[in-house]
Amino acid sequence: MRIVIAEDSAVMRAGLAEILADSDHQVVAAVGNADDLLAAVDQHRPDAAVVDVRMPPGYTDEGLRAAIAIRRDHPKTGVLVFSQYIETRYAADLLGAASGGGAAGVGYLLKDRVADVEEFVEALSRVAAGGTALDPEVVTQLLGASRRSDGLGTLTAREREVLALMAEGRSNAAIARILVVSERSVEKHVGNIFSKLGLPPSDADHRRVLAVLRYLES
Amino acid sequence: MRAPNDDATPRRPLIMRILVRRAAYRHPRAYGGACLAAGLWVFVLGVILCSYGFWWGALLIAVGALELWVAYHLLVAPLPRRVRELEQTRARAVDDSAARLRRIERDLHDGAQAQMVAVAMKLGLATKRLGGMIDGTGQTDLERVLELVVAAHRGAKEAITELRNLARGIHPPVLDQGLGIALTTLAARGDLPVKLDIDLPERPSAAIETIAYFCAAELLTNVTKHSGARHARLEAAHVPGLLRVRVSDDGCGGARIEERGGLAGLAERIRTVDGRLQVSSPPGGPTAVTIELPSHA
Repeated sequence: MRIVIAEDSAVMRAGLAEILADSDHQVVAAVGNADDLLAAVDQHRPDAAVVDVRMPPGYTDEGLRAAIAIRRDHPKTGVLVFSQYIETRYAADLLGAASGGGAAGVGYLLKDRVADVEEFVEALSRVAAGGTALDPEVVTQLLGASRRSDGLGTLTAREREVLALMAEGRSNAAIARILVVSERSVEKHVGNIFSKLGLPPSDADHRRVLAVLRYLES
Repeated sequence: MRAPNDDATPRRPLIMRILVRRAAYRHPRAYGGACLAAGLWVFVLGVILCSYGFWWGALLIAVGALELWVAYHLLVAPLPRRVRELEQTRARAVDDSAARLRRIERDLHDGAQAQMVAVAMKLGLATKRLGGMIDGTGQTDLERVLELVVAAHRGAKEAITELRNLARGIHPPVLDQGLGIALTTLAARGDLPVKLDIDLPERPSAAIETIAYFCAAELLTNVTKHSGARHARLEAAHVPGLLRVRVSDDGCGGARIEERGGLAGLAERIRTVDGRLQVSSPPGGPTAVTIELPSHA
């Protein structure tokens, strides 16, 4: 993959570049603010951009806004946004922008997740391929914040686990691997979840996430 | 220089300027109270004398009324202004503490937090490599793993140092043992030789000590950063009711209170407890900054 990194902390930038290079990906540009990020994406058309939410000059949500702009202007570039804190609002903004563009290709992770190198690189690949990667923290917050507990209440413990992993953006195969069950039984759980929540079944991973999130937020 | 909100002293009525010494305004409650008591007695005495037919009792009534009027001007008239002042300083105190918290969050976010994520990343990479070596799927590259672990180790130590400095910036533990000891430590820690002159027979309240400490710290930092001085002097004296801290140097002078500048920030913080900041810094030096704080906030 060809990747652009936008992160204002030099320590983090160097670390990210090291991890990606170690996983045989090509970092085509590493920048420290949102304007440079947009310019770099325009120039290099990367497969994915890794973007810090808080960057100069305002240190608020410059990265997030740049990420949304990238999704709008460059549908082929996946954007993985990451930050020190999880704001459910940001996840909603990002996914809202993504669904408007007709494809997902977005991710939102805590910076800590970078430490689990393989999982991080896998999440980035998923995003670059047009999928979704949401931090488990986002999913927990969304599940916790959901007012529509009537539908969720009818789910079994296993179905809730599957729902959480689905919301993170995992495929059935990945869920089966994580829960150490067969793919067949995951499919069955997913079918049950969709029918219990009254959602139409769908094959596309990101559409599942969007559907689930829309349900959780309502 | 006087604190800016002192400049806005309202014009006093002419008769007040004749009758009341300027000093009265510095201690309005003492003078006003005395006027009130004396005025009441004289007024009542005048009324009694008049009722017994002594015409000059009317003079006493007039003098008593005048004293009561002065008491009113010292005690009651300044109240709305004082309320406004307190509202302003309270708002500034709240802003100041919010800004402080924001700064601490920023320091944590950009410093130790980022540093620790980087450490975790390096250890994550090292784990991946070692895992590959044990499974036999990756190449054996112990040197690279050692490099990663060494870098992570160094990063962790840097993060510890940053956290320690940050914690000390929030509240220096040595301050619990008294302002004198804290200032001695502060003077010894800098790069510049600082001559100390500390006379603190009694401890001011904790909030005042904290403000005095951070002001002294910032002023000494200013000396090192801006003045080009070779010597600095730090004086602290506590007389009943008043703590005075003075930082002076033999540097280039020219320090001023500028909007949004460091000294203006200090002046604001000091004003939240009704203290004062004075700067004397002619071009060419020397510079002396004096802070006066009440003993209790």
